[in-house]
Amino acid sequence: MTINPDEIILFQMGWFKINATIFYTWLIIIFMTLGSWLVTRKMTSEGPLSRWQNLFEVVIEVINKQIREVSRQDPGPYLPFVGTLFLYIAISNILAIVPGYVPPTGSLSTTAALAISVFIAVPAFGIAARGVAKYFKQYLQPTFFMLPFNIIGELSRTLALAVRLYGNVMSGTVIVAILITITPLIFPIVMQVLGLLTGLIQAYIFAILAMVYIASASRVQQEMEQKREQQ
Amino acid sequence: MIIDWYTIIFQIINFLILVFLLRKFLYGPIVKMMEERERKIIEREEEAEAFKKEAEEEVEAYSRKNVELEQQKEEIMDKARSAAEEEKNELLNEARSEVDQTRRRWEEALEREKESFIVELRRRISLQACSLARHCLEDLADARLEELIWKHFMTKVDELAEEDRRELEKGLKDDQYKLNLLSAFDADDSKIKDLKKRLEEIYPDSAEELELKYKKDSELICGLEIEAGGYRVSWNIDSYLEGMESDILKELNQTGSEEEDGEEPAVDQSEDS
Repeated sequence: MTINPDEIILFQMGWFKINATIFYTWLIIIFMTLGSWLVTRKMTSEGPLSRWQNLFEVVIEVINKQIREVSRQDPGPYLPFVGTLFLYIAISNILAIVPGYVPPTGSLSTTAALAISVFIAVPAFGIAARGVAKYFKQYLQPTFFMLPFNIIGELSRTLALAVRLYGNVMSGTVIVAILITITPLIFPIVMQVLGLLTGLIQAYIFAILAMVYIASASRVQQEMEQKREQQ
Repeated sequence: MIIDWYTIIFQIINFLILVFLLRKFLYGPIVKMMEERERKIIEREEEAEAFKKEAEEEVEAYSRKNVELEQQKEEIMDKARSAAEEEKNELLNEARSEVDQTRRRWEEALEREKESFIVELRRRISLQACSLARHCLEDLADARLEELIWKHFMTKVDELAEEDRRELEKGLKDDQYKLNLLSAFDADDSKIKDLKKRLEEIYPDSAEELELKYKKDSELICGLEIEAGGYRVSWNIDSYLEGMESDILKELNQTGSEEEDGEEPAVDQSEDS
């Protein structure tokens, strides 16, 4: 039994290889893009909505609402990044009920890739919102000596993000695999249902945490409010 | 090694591609569509608000107009009422005056009828009285009366005034001295001759030519008449009776008018008291 989908090599040509993680990620990309395109090409702004459009709008609206609550800012600029994090993780976890499918999020490489994306996105959004000087100044807060700890905190939370998601998804798969060997009937199904739930929760947690980090890096509005209070 | 850096880089690229694709196919169109819908809803709401405002204004205008119409109606009704009142009064007055006129006319007609009745009555009474007298005289007329009449007539001829004589003479000349004698009785020749003789005495110039023509006329009530050229000398009861008739009519008219004069003051008195 292989725990790591990275080790399942489907195609290899010299250094170029396609493992299960990459392959299923591509499948998810194709699936999501195609689905989005099929629904959004027939959208209308008035009259009765199609069910799919309605569903998509509800999902987007919920994501926007969450972003707004966490960041207290307009969700517009954060929606593509945070929304994609959530949808990608959620779909790759939900599809785990399909037999033969290996969730890419069960690979530490994928989760690490997402965490690294967040790690890069946080300063990117922060600098975009506040400017370079102001952004890096926060690492010196409250004193210069806090700089190493701030940097460590930044790195450790990225690591935590990656490991948390990986552990949860991978463990779900492993548990099901172990249970099948012990009780082949009924019980694995219950665990799989539980797996769907934890998968969604993990997607939510990952996206929300990413948003929290980004928001804390780009608290323009809060600073302006503080300035207003000082004045 | 759980972490495969090759896969990590691949996955980062994959993730970025997914972000780009979803941004193009999912977030962009849906957000745009939602904003568009929101805008349209707001527009529609504004439109509805405008319509509502317009409708309210319309309603206000209508209610104002209604009040005006009500007032106008009231005014028109008042006018119509007063006009009807006037018309009624006028008609009543007209009817009253008409009734008065009709009554007056009726009264006048009644009065006229009464008067004509009275006149007719008077006339009848006088005629009756005369005819009564005439009958009496006719019944009483006999030879002696005839004698007396002749005698009376003779004296009348004798005592003709100078003027009357001249008139008669003129009449005789016009009629070639032909004298008509009319009598109610059968006259004797001697009496006719006597009359002729008398006349010859009166007109000696024309004595020879004088011719007396006798004719009986029962219309003359116990009377005699000579006539020449339209001039006549006569004596009969008829003339007396005619006089009497006119006397009686005069008398009755007088009493009638006295009665009318006497009634009116009595009415006035009662009104005054």
